[in-house]
Amino acid sequence: MGHWIYLIVPICLYLMFFVVPIVWTFWLSLHSWNGISRDMKWVGGGNFMTLFLQPRFHHAVVNNIAWLIFYLLAPSGLGLLLAVILDRGIRFEGFFRIVFFLPFTVPAVAVAAIWRWMYEPTNGLITTVLNTVGLGGWAQNWLGDPNIVTFSLMGSVLWWTTGFAFLVFFAGLRNIPVECIEAAQIEGATPWQIFWRVTFPLLWPSTIIVLGLAAIDAMRVFDIIWATTMGGPAYASEVMATQMYEIAFGRLEMGRASAIAVYLLVIAGVLIMPYITYMSRRVADSEDS
Amino acid sequence: MSKRTGFLGALLLGTALTFGSTAMAEEAELWHFFSSGSEAEGLEALMAVTNGINSDQPITSRVFPGNILEMRRAIQTSLMGGNPPAAYGSGFGYELKIFADAGHLRPLDDVWERIRGDEIFPEGVKRVTMVDGHPMGIPFDLSLINNIFFNKKVLEDNGVEVPTDWDSLVAACDALRDAGVQPLANAGGPYWSMYNFYPALISTVGVDGYYALADGSMSFDSPEFREALDLFRNTLVSCYAENWSGKSWTQSGDDLVNGDVGMFMMGMWLGGYMRQAGFEPEVDFDFFPAPGTENLAIFQMDLFAIPAGTGPATEAGVAFAEAAASTAAQAAFTVPKGSIAPNLEVDPSIYDAVGAKASAELKNAEAVLPNLVFMLPTNLGTELGVQLERFAIDPSEETENEMITTLEALRVELQAENAFVKW
Repeated sequence: MGHWIYLIVPICLYLMFFVVPIVWTFWLSLHSWNGISRDMKWVGGGNFMTLFLQPRFHHAVVNNIAWLIFYLLAPSGLGLLLAVILDRGIRFEGFFRIVFFLPFTVPAVAVAAIWRWMYEPTNGLITTVLNTVGLGGWAQNWLGDPNIVTFSLMGSVLWWTTGFAFLVFFAGLRNIPVECIEAAQIEGATPWQIFWRVTFPLLWPSTIIVLGLAAIDAMRVFDIIWATTMGGPAYASEVMATQMYEIAFGRLEMGRASAIAVYLLVIAGVLIMPYITYMSRRVADSEDS
Repeated sequence: MSKRTGFLGALLLGTALTFGSTAMAEEAELWHFFSSGSEAEGLEALMAVTNGINSDQPITSRVFPGNILEMRRAIQTSLMGGNPPAAYGSGFGYELKIFADAGHLRPLDDVWERIRGDEIFPEGVKRVTMVDGHPMGIPFDLSLINNIFFNKKVLEDNGVEVPTDWDSLVAACDALRDAGVQPLANAGGPYWSMYNFYPALISTVGVDGYYALADGSMSFDSPEFREALDLFRNTLVSCYAENWSGKSWTQSGDDLVNGDVGMFMMGMWLGGYMRQAGFEPEVDFDFFPAPGTENLAIFQMDLFAIPAGTGPATEAGVAFAEAAASTAAQAAFTVPKGSIAPNLEVDPSIYDAVGAKASAELKNAEAVLPNLVFMLPTNLGTELGVQLERFAIDPSEETENEMITTLEALRVELQAENAFVKW
């Protein structure tokens, strides 16, 4: 019994800063409230129904799913590729390790500022380079065209976050016992076979970390979008988190914004939690075997 | 160290921290979002003046980078925590009304009387500073938003006369485009296309119609509103530079300075930005009123509001607001920023040529009109901005119809809630 006393403080903190805000957010989502007035009006499930029928909300959900696919494939895949290339013992390995990881240390707002200039459609770096190499026809209105703005943002996030996946995979590769690779080589396996049959399965714990965090990042993506486009132009790059912020503080509809938060929690729970559970089980299985 | 000594030490530390934080809360602070450039310079100068006037009640500033949205979030949170600042930078109209209706603002009738607010501020300014007949803020910074800036060399080199009406504006755009120059800049975001729309709106519905849209009595599916959209489509929208929606206003400002575009309809802060870039007013750049607004002044404005409360911090806030209305304080802020003072007693000779011209426009205007977005319920104002940006990107019939349906549904909903105000 005595040991439980030591848990009182963390439990209280957990309840106060985790459970209570969730319950309070759900309570708010059942009301109409501008966040300033002292009166809240009960609307029941009205906020949820309004969002459910609103094309703007559907668009944000679709964008979140696009971000999920992107996060799982692009930074993770590129990070793995860079880690494998560097693991082969090329020259200036230390230099490249720093170069690959450096963007990840830059704050989101600075990344947004950098890429706003990179993507400037007339004199930005990307358009200028394309014009210089004779590919000016490929230049786009990167952040101003509603059809491509999300892909442009993904480009900046790829530059920003690949370093993390690279670092985790690189550390994982360095921890693989050399004997396993050597045994496969003696057995006559090709480098391709060695990667898929030996290296990649042994990288599983690293993969789970990278993909698990990527999935979580996809659901909570906010700062880079808000700082670059504020969800625009005309809602085109909006995700649920930016929509929630805009509705809460741009329109002072705290109830509806809370309903988005509840939806986000549920969707993240439905999409992400089964995946994390499944992956964790796979790690346990691979360790057992 | 014994247990008792340790306990006493912790208690003392806790007490010190508690009193320390209380002391912090008692400090009189001004919260604002003027984080950089000429605006930050202006605020620093203004505070030097106000703290000079109120040397016994000095106030310190805290910046919240971003825009009014971030400011709103900070104030909202501070009010929930019961620890608002002594004063903060606010928008006007509906922005004041939301906080005033909840009893969070201190009415400034006493300050207004002392500064002779009814005499020193124009009628349009007064209309959106009052909530239910009480002044809820002190205006300190005003920018006209109905002017089109132009690069003099670009227009001269291409033999383009300064436009004076809609037809000559479109002709100027055609001439510039034929000469390989993008005619008119715009910028992405929910505000700029909306500001550009106001001249078309006023040309169609007049000043009374402008206020009718603000108070919810004009519907968005009315023929007049559609006519205004048509005029907007056939004039400014048709003039916009390629890829404008992917640029911030500063990037478009750079295009004007570099001569990549000929004209740019933007608030007066663009003049300050161009001066910082080394452009001389009236020599390198100038402006003309957008067609349909020749005898009008449409303005964007900043005020200082004082949260309700009692105690030394509130008193310091009130003293600060009073000092901020002085001609010296208003001049200190507006000259570096490149805007003009709402206080009409400020000597126009302090401004550069462009500022003096704008100041004369404000004084001589037949009507001084507040920015529409701040007179609308917050939700509708924001939605109108987003929809007009969408329309400016794709001015098709389909977009127009979707826009009108969305806005009209929102107007009806807000009217049912009695949310509109007759300013």
